[in-house]
Amino acid sequence: MVLPEFEYKKANSIAEAVALYKGYKGKAKYLAGGTDLVPLVKLRLSAPKAVIDLKGIKELKTISRGDGWLSIGANVTLFDLKNDPAIKGYFPALYESLDATSCETLQMRGTIGGNILQDTRCLEYNQSLQWRTARGFCFKMGGKTCNVVQGAKACFANYCSDNAPALITLSAQAKLAGPKGARTVKLENLFTGDGKKPLALEEGEMLVQIQIPLKKTKGAYEKLRIRDSMDYPLVGVAVSVAGTKARACIGGVGLVPRVYDLKNVNDAAVREAAEKAYAEAKPVANATLTPAYRKKMVGVLLKRAFNKALQEGK
Amino acid sequence: MKTMKVTFQVNSDKVTLQVKPYETLLETLRERLALTGAKEACGMGSCGACTVVVDGIPMRSCLVLTPEVNGAVITTVEGLKQDDRLHPLQEAFMEKGAVQCGFCTSGMIMTAKALLDRNKKPTKKEIITTISSNICRCTGYKKIVEAVEAAAKRT
Amino acid sequence: MKDDLNIVGKRVVRSDSLAKVTGQARYTADLKFPNMLVAKVLRSPYPHAKIVRIDLKRALKVPGVKAAISGFDGYGIKWGVFRYTQDHAMLHTDKVRYIGEDVAAVAAVDEETAMEALSYIKVDYEPLPAVYDPIESMKDGAPQIHSEYKNNINIHIHIDVGEVDRAMGKAFLVREDTFKAAGEAYAMMEPYAVVASYVNGYLDLWMPNAGPHVRAKALSNMLKLPLNKVRIRHINSGGAFGGRSEVAPGDLVASLLSIKAGRPVKLVLSREENATSSRQVHDMIATVKTGMKKDGTIVAKDFKVIYDGGAYSSTGPIATSIPFYVYEECYRFPNVRYNGYRVFTNKGIRGMYGCHGRAFLAGNEAQMDIMAKQLGMDPVEVRLKNGLRSGEMTATKSKITSCGLKETIIAASEKTNFKKRWAKPSRLKGVGMGCVAIMCGFPMGFRSGSSCYVKINDDGQVTIVTGLVDNGQGNESMVIQVASEVLGVPMGDINLVNADTEVTNLDPGAYSQAAAFVGANAVRVACENARKRIVAIASEKLGVKEAEIGLKDGLAYSIKKPDKKMPISWVVREAFFRGEPIVATGSFFPNIDFEREWVSRPWGQMAGTFSFGTSVAEVNIDSETGKITMPRFTSAHDCGRAINPMAVEGQMEGSIQQAGVAAITEGNLWDKGHLLNPDLLEYKVPLACDMPDMDTIIISSRDPAGPFGAKEGGLTVRMNAYSAVACAVANATGELFSELPLTPDRVMNILERKKGVK
Repeated sequence: MVLPEFEYKKANSIAEAVALYKGYKGKAKYLAGGTDLVPLVKLRLSAPKAVIDLKGIKELKTISRGDGWLSIGANVTLFDLKNDPAIKGYFPALYESLDATSCETLQMRGTIGGNILQDTRCLEYNQSLQWRTARGFCFKMGGKTCNVVQGAKACFANYCSDNAPALITLSAQAKLAGPKGARTVKLENLFTGDGKKPLALEEGEMLVQIQIPLKKTKGAYEKLRIRDSMDYPLVGVAVSVAGTKARACIGGVGLVPRVYDLKNVNDAAVREAAEKAYAEAKPVANATLTPAYRKKMVGVLLKRAFNKALQEGK
Repeated sequence: MKTMKVTFQVNSDKVTLQVKPYETLLETLRERLALTGAKEACGMGSCGACTVVVDGIPMRSCLVLTPEVNGAVITTVEGLKQDDRLHPLQEAFMEKGAVQCGFCTSGMIMTAKALLDRNKKPTKKEIITTISSNICRCTGYKKIVEAVEAAAKRT
Repeated sequence: MKDDLNIVGKRVVRSDSLAKVTGQARYTADLKFPNMLVAKVLRSPYPHAKIVRIDLKRALKVPGVKAAISGFDGYGIKWGVFRYTQDHAMLHTDKVRYIGEDVAAVAAVDEETAMEALSYIKVDYEPLPAVYDPIESMKDGAPQIHSEYKNNINIHIHIDVGEVDRAMGKAFLVREDTFKAAGEAYAMMEPYAVVASYVNGYLDLWMPNAGPHVRAKALSNMLKLPLNKVRIRHINSGGAFGGRSEVAPGDLVASLLSIKAGRPVKLVLSREENATSSRQVHDMIATVKTGMKKDGTIVAKDFKVIYDGGAYSSTGPIATSIPFYVYEECYRFPNVRYNGYRVFTNKGIRGMYGCHGRAFLAGNEAQMDIMAKQLGMDPVEVRLKNGLRSGEMTATKSKITSCGLKETIIAASEKTNFKKRWAKPSRLKGVGMGCVAIMCGFPMGFRSGSSCYVKINDDGQVTIVTGLVDNGQGNESMVIQVASEVLGVPMGDINLVNADTEVTNLDPGAYSQAAAFVGANAVRVACENARKRIVAIASEKLGVKEAEIGLKDGLAYSIKKPDKKMPISWVVREAFFRGEPIVATGSFFPNIDFEREWVSRPWGQMAGTFSFGTSVAEVNIDSETGKITMPRFTSAHDCGRAINPMAVEGQMEGSIQQAGVAAITEGNLWDKGHLLNPDLLEYKVPLACDMPDMDTIIISSRDPAGPFGAKEGGLTVRMNAYSAVACAVANATGELFSELPLTPDRVMNILERKKGVK
């Protein structure tokens, strides 16, 4: 499938990348591993005038420790990150989510930044222009209503990063840079809930670093999928436990990963969180398994993730 | 549309080409360099039939822009033979019956090659994990796993 | 049967694999010709609409566009395999009947130009009401998809043997269940591609296909070209699985464009187009009613099966029949009624598949287990009791000439400790068994037989010419192996010319499982005829009786005194000197009743022989998620004799993937007429990590007519693997399923139904 016309620029520094972006007046896309972006452009879901390749920027490629944080450059590949001993040792939820992401070859190309900043997905959205034209454009494409939930003037696409939920359970923050300068936000605040623009990034902003408080956790990631490789999560549940406190985060259902904090981890609290997560999950018929089933699995996998996290900690 | 000058090494040849900035590596290999071993089966990175090795990393060439590989060293299935000797993976794929229709074979072999290059003695489980990046519709994968195991013993 | 064979029965390296591991094997999309154009197809955005007008003028003005066509540029001739199924013009001028249907096309200097030109083609449509569900489609008042077919019933196959109602009335145990299955995608790795080159009045074509001769015939009809002017050429095929048996719309599109432009034209479908607009597999609903005696003997079967046939007839009568036949060729049904309805809907074209009919077959097998259990029997006993044996007739009067069904049941069950495990399944762990028989070739009129031409060249090397086709399963290597055995010439010294309609004779192609039993048999006969000539001269030259001459490693030798020998090349040269070069022909025509007709006379000998097989699946079900894991899968297959056991195992293993594991993963998903997973991401072809450990057991029954005793190899497993999985799930849950594939949500429903959870 041929790509539509665009220009290719390579940046060697963040400043250069941002300057290039400004030059294209918002019509450019940053390119890291391309495993999310290139298919979107092929499907004509994204039509950049230029792509700005960030892979030449050295500071985006490093993993460093300091001041009680682990800082991960946005362009570190999922595979390299998974194999960094700090991850397995400190953040088992993240280790498991990285290991469960797509397949090994795409883990070697895909970056942590790109994985977090991926677009939301829907069976009626991730289709070719011809397909979508035949179907009629949905809300997310600029149409009037959703094609899955008849008549809804909203979007129910799923945010399918495996790693963002894991990072959120680890209280990770995102360091961003853009035309207006740098800022740091809690990762869970990166989501808008707006299907047309699911990520709270300013125009021209890029993800520079993911920072995780460097303290040991117990944790697990449970992923619902049909095949044990390649598939996006139909539900993804990350759990991290530090001391008596714990956090769970649900991905793969809806636009925003949902967070559940447990002040005291015990069976009752886990059960309560599972019930709450189940009640709040609102999957629709836009992925391969039925919504009722996916909803049920939110609670089941949350409990399972806690069991696993606490058992492995023993 | 402006074209861009790109230089890279593919197998034993250094090439310099004028390419479209939005050209994929798969198109460049197949259309400009007549290296048709890498196949387009899905064009969306979902199957691995177009896998080539770029600087030691297996890549879906349908997702890589050719300008991205400027300066890189690329190995395709056509470059595996050394001094007229087949690569152990090629021999093992033949001997173990790991090839049926052949459309996934190039990508499968290149994915396995990148594995053996970074891990001389992979376990069966590691082999299965690696080749779970690629779809084969014909074989059920058993003979492919056996072939990679056999090739690992020979390298 | 002769057993001291040199090469048949050995695990040989396939002749085509060197080119494939080096990237040198050419597939259609790899072809490049001077002056070649690229084609793109404009497709229907409507599931059902009247075509009012198609305007190509603006598209033709785009610089670089060399031709544009629509149905108005053809003759409007409708193709169908049977006279009563001629409903597919490939490019229609009256209506479109599914989303993605070919409407118009352009050929341009490159893909981007062609895509731009498509956007300038103007088509005026009048949308019509559409129907997507076969049950709705059969109702009075439903939108009519073809005016010739009332209630959208494309095909009705009615078979009635014995006295079903009476037998059912007298049966000790009667049970009726309904099973549904989603259609599948062929998902062959190579998306459909075709190159057409019209030069000097001749049209040459390359495309992955299973039957070049029938395709050439179809194109000659549709293009009003004499058959000898349409030549389908040999090319590697990246998988077919039943989906490339018939002429495709793209063939006509590329041909018309090449004729118009006077240049070669290449059309390569995208993965999405391959899924929506080439061929799909039928969705189906099967109602199965069975009557059994107290001892487990099946006394009657009553079937009603509804096939969602999509928009055109395709291989309609065959597709509507095959699931029934592969079942009646396996078990004894004294009274049986089959009503198969193939119904049009506004969905893509549906064809035959390697595991066509999974709702019907898996339903039958699982129901049989439940009934057996009620009677105090197990799946092994009930299958052995009802399974056909060599010498018996099927319900529709096919004679079984060789049958290893019993041996496959015993081998597979013993290997898996089946009886014990089935009787006492541990919690949510189950085993299941599926059996089936497969016809090796079926009636295809005068295309049912194959012939081969062999010549021995002056250096003792051999060229064999046959219409046989290889879609990746190893047919080419197989016939080279057979020729090598007969002629005593190493495989590497044998060249094969095949699947080219100009130089080869009629052949069924890689269709109807005919390649080993029919195609390889023709090669065997031709080589035996050549062998006689070699032996006669060698006998004379060596002074040894003809009966005592052996051929091996390129030498003719005395079996009694092996040092008396001469190279075959000397024999050949002697033959040239005598002005009688060694050339021979041979053919094989299977013993089939040609009065048989799929609809009007559904009885008589179906095929020359039948292969048999038994699969056993072992499943574990996660009680909380319903996810099935499959630790082990065992298949025993009576393939007569395995010509290349390694290749037969490969077919069996691939079948376990494409039918067995697919039974829990694969299905097309629809939103009305929109296919939701026309890709390789959301259509779930199993990956290496999803595969069970596989045991393949080859049982040899040595068919009296097969080449060296061989029959079809592999399809049997493809047709019984999903039954084994479905039965294992029924064993693990103690409940019958109602819908396939057995995705975790459906399995959870079964578990909850059992628990009584709302």
